Amino acid sequence: MALWPFGVHDREHPSLGVILVVDDEESIRKISRLTLTKAGYEVIEAENGEKAIEVLNTGENPLTVDVILCDIRMPKINGVEAIQYFRTQYPSVPIIVQTGFPDLNLATSLMKQGIVDYLVKPVEKEKLLAAVSKAAEQRTTCNT
Amino acid sequence: MKPTAAEQSLFVVILGAGKGGSALIELLTRCSGIRILGVADSNPDAPGLQLARYHYIPTTSDIAWLVARDEASLIIDVTGDPAIPSLIARHKSPKTEVLGGIAARLIWSLIQAEHEMYEHLAHAEKLSTLGIFTAGIAHEFNNPLHGIMGFSQHLQGETDPAIISEYSREIVTLTRRLSEMTKGLNLYARTGQMPEITDVQIPQLLDEAIKMAAFSTMLDEVTVVRNYAPVPDMQVNPSELHQIFVNLIINAVQAMNARGHLTLSTGVEGGYLTVTIQDTGPGIAPQDLARVFAPFFTTKERGSGTGLGLYIVRTIVNKYGGTIEPVSQSGNGTTFRIQFPLSSAA
Repeated sequence: MALWPFGVHDREHPSLGVILVVDDEESIRKISRLTLTKAGYEVIEAENGEKAIEVLNTGENPLTVDVILCDIRMPKINGVEAIQYFRTQYPSVPIIVQTGFPDLNLATSLMKQGIVDYLVKPVEKEKLLAAVSKAAEQRTTCNT
Repeated sequence: MKPTAAEQSLFVVILGAGKGGSALIELLTRCSGIRILGVADSNPDAPGLQLARYHYIPTTSDIAWLVARDEASLIIDVTGDPAIPSLIARHKSPKTEVLGGIAARLIWSLIQAEHEMYEHLAHAEKLSTLGIFTAGIAHEFNNPLHGIMGFSQHLQGETDPAIISEYSREIVTLTRRLSEMTKGLNLYARTGQMPEITDVQIPQLLDEAIKMAAFSTMLDEVTVVRNYAPVPDMQVNPSELHQIFVNLIINAVQAMNARGHLTLSTGVEGGYLTVTIQDTGPGIAPQDLARVFAPFFTTKERGSGTGLGLYIVRTIVNKYGGTIEPVSQSGNGTTFRIQFPLSSAA
């Protein structure tokens, strides 16, 4: 588990934000990490909902994580359960769902719970970056 | 005086082991009170002869000898050979009745129609299951597609040979994963109308079925235990056996709410090839145990199952001369035990 962010650590060039990527597939986390770090974000990873909760409850992460990018179908605590927890405990952190399920009912239900976007894989990097940028902006507005 | 069970039974001789004979064997072996004394065909490679042997029914190419069996109550002639009626007349016992000519053709047509209807039903059940799988299939395909697209996008403009090589390897791995899934789906969705009897390794087919079942439900929290004792290959249609195993595995995983132990075993016991599929779910209620194979019986929510799964499972098992039996005690999981006669082994 990576508790320390991948990406930009240079104080002279502050990152665009910290993104918590939650997905049980290593290759998916790797793609998200590549896309986001190249664009200037820092990335923290978790391989399931349980780890994500653990990571978010660690150190200053509740304050520094700007956006959660979350899969749905995962072992232990799945995305739906994890999102319920995040929305209750950290309502100011925007959540983007990135899943292989093209499920309109699930998307509607999660949007009602307050997620900011529901992306169905395969997601083009431009689309992911646009969604993350919009969500990070929302987080900044919330904090100011 | 009331007739005994043996006196009530109908002892049937089937002449002709082509399509018509095969369909007759399949139907009559499912009927209680009918015993097939033997099947004859002058062609030793006729498909019905192999099917008869699966069911331990004597086969012969000596039509006259079989026709002369004294205990035969009925001879059904589906050879279509104009020389056979006179041969029957010469050799049969006076009390044996004969169904031949146009009457036999009518029976054959009815059986063919019944058989085709069953094939359609079995295929419809598979397609219906595929419909239930849709979300899972989309998920399993979209994940590797996401990886392939992502790595491809990052390859564009990349000049570092080490990175190019790394991303290319990732793409190849993900593409192979997709290709394996397509093969599994193809095996499952294939129609049963073109029987392809071939040598099949049962443990390999059980492993394929687990992959297919993963489309319907998450298996991450299911511990799969494989107790595969060596078994001979079986000569079967792999698509049909795959359908049996997928159905039983999905039922087992759903019964456990996708958390528990799934034990798959193979072995040879007393002339039978045995396959067992065991779960650690709550078990089947005693009042439901006798009904699980009945068509349209389901304990699942409306829209989650057709109620035909186990009915079709048993029909296919019986087709290969096998038996299937559920063993369950409330609170102690369920074991489905299938036995195939070793005569169907390659």
